[in-house]
Amino acid sequence: MSTLALPDQQIRVETSSAQRTAPTGRAGATIRKTLYRSGAIIGFLLVWELIPQFLLEPASKVFLPPLHEVLQQLWKMIVSGDLLTHISASLGRSAIGFLLALVIGVPVGLVVAWFSRIGDFLNPLLEVFRNTAALALLPVFTLTLGIGELSKVTIVLYAAFFPVLLNTILGARSVDPLLIRAGKTLGLNNFEIFSKVVLPASVPIIFTGIRMAGTSAVLVLIAAEMIGAKAGLGYLITNSQASFLIPKMYAAILTVAILGFVVNAALVALERHFSRWARA
Amino acid sequence: MSRIEIKNLSKKFQRTGASDQSAVTAIDSLDLWIEDGEFFTLVGPSGCGKSTLLDILAGLSTPSQGEVLVDGQPISGPSLERSVVFQQYALFPWLTAAANVQVGLESQARHGQGLNKAERRIRAHEYLRLVGLEGVEDKYPHELSGGMRQRVAIARALAHEPKVLLMDEPFAALDAQTREQLQDLLLDIWKRTKTTIVFITHGIEEAVYLGQKVAVMSARPGKIKEIVNIDLQDRQSVDDIRSTQQFGEYRHHIWSLLHSHSRQDVAASVEKTLISSGATA
Repeated sequence: MSTLALPDQQIRVETSSAQRTAPTGRAGATIRKTLYRSGAIIGFLLVWELIPQFLLEPASKVFLPPLHEVLQQLWKMIVSGDLLTHISASLGRSAIGFLLALVIGVPVGLVVAWFSRIGDFLNPLLEVFRNTAALALLPVFTLTLGIGELSKVTIVLYAAFFPVLLNTILGARSVDPLLIRAGKTLGLNNFEIFSKVVLPASVPIIFTGIRMAGTSAVLVLIAAEMIGAKAGLGYLITNSQASFLIPKMYAAILTVAILGFVVNAALVALERHFSRWARA
Repeated sequence: MSRIEIKNLSKKFQRTGASDQSAVTAIDSLDLWIEDGEFFTLVGPSGCGKSTLLDILAGLSTPSQGEVLVDGQPISGPSLERSVVFQQYALFPWLTAAANVQVGLESQARHGQGLNKAERRIRAHEYLRLVGLEGVEDKYPHELSGGMRQRVAIARALAHEPKVLLMDEPFAALDAQTREQLQDLLLDIWKRTKTTIVFITHGIEEAVYLGQKVAVMSARPGKIKEIVNIDLQDRQSVDDIRSTQQFGEYRHHIWSLLHSHSRQDVAASVEKTLISSGATA
């Protein structure tokens, strides 16, 4: 009996020790992976900090202050509430334009996709508009809508509209016809086929468009604010530059970068959430 | 629970703008009579128009000629009375298994003749249990195996209690073992519900095992070659009925019906290639 029991015990010991080492090993691997992935960013920040400190002459150091000066400035602006004013100005504009683009783009896209003759008719025009850089139209919007909020919201709307529209059309058109047939045999009428089959089936592709729209909404707005505005991150950048407040300019640029990153990450998370079922 | 009469049915496919002569005849003046509560299988080579026929029965496409009567009434479009199970499952991937099963029930409810929400959920669970699925109610299709997905599809087709169940090669994409399991499941369900089943397959054995009658179709144009009455005892009361002599005879008979024509075709085409290759040499 004891001889029989021995190997069994050995195995049990082995598995338990394996269980003990596995989590720490996995955690170590995750830490290593995270370090490796953030390595490039950390390296970049180090270069930003060290090169102005030790390699640049004082005259050119003014134009590229080391990271810690920029961060100090950023902190000052956070504490004074200055930064928040500009962020909320920018975010407000892009959110309104972006949401309008969704509210208009998705239904229009669905209609265009559903009535294929309308789609064939409109498509060439849509292609022309889509391939016209939004910023090229900024003077037109400024002339017709003034330099206030309206022209800025409009340019965001314009930039965000096309990715949403075109992806909605693409999504609705690429619905598996088999699902439509199945829906019909399950008693769905045309409208129900549309709302219960075509719409949910196109959600993953529509969301790709929404993510693209979100990114371009922020990008275009910053550029628009740089040309003419009284508040906002784009204004903050050009205004600081003009006033020779160089650390402040970099602080604003850094904020823009972080904001773009956060907006994109949030939209990616949202996209994942709504497309869970598509990961077949 | 319904009788189906197909009278002088033809279906031609025509490319838009093409002339009348270029039309492809998928089904040519076909007559068929399917009894109330019958398990009717259709077997034929690919391209014999059997899927076209099923589409017409489902109301998903209209015949070019002739008519189809269900209990004496002509078909006008899809209906909850005729459910379809497709080869590729056709489950809605954004709905859970239970929600998929409820789609037809919800349509019924919208037309004011159905169950309320709680009853629908109970019914969905009942039918998932009927097809041998328990505990997967909240799973999404991509989390299920092919066999389980087809079980969900069968539950979805049956939950609103249709009179006719139309099945378009439903087990063709499954592995052999799963296929046999689902064949037995389907026979059980049929015995219990007495639904008229029209089952399309290209598997001769499957057709004989399931059908009370097997209609053998020929291709181009699609016609019924022969209807074979399958006079076997209860399939599941005998061990391995597929290896009995009687089963083998049915199988062979249908096999020869399917091959008598195509063998001549093969011979002709071989001859043709020999001649043409001889000419080039």
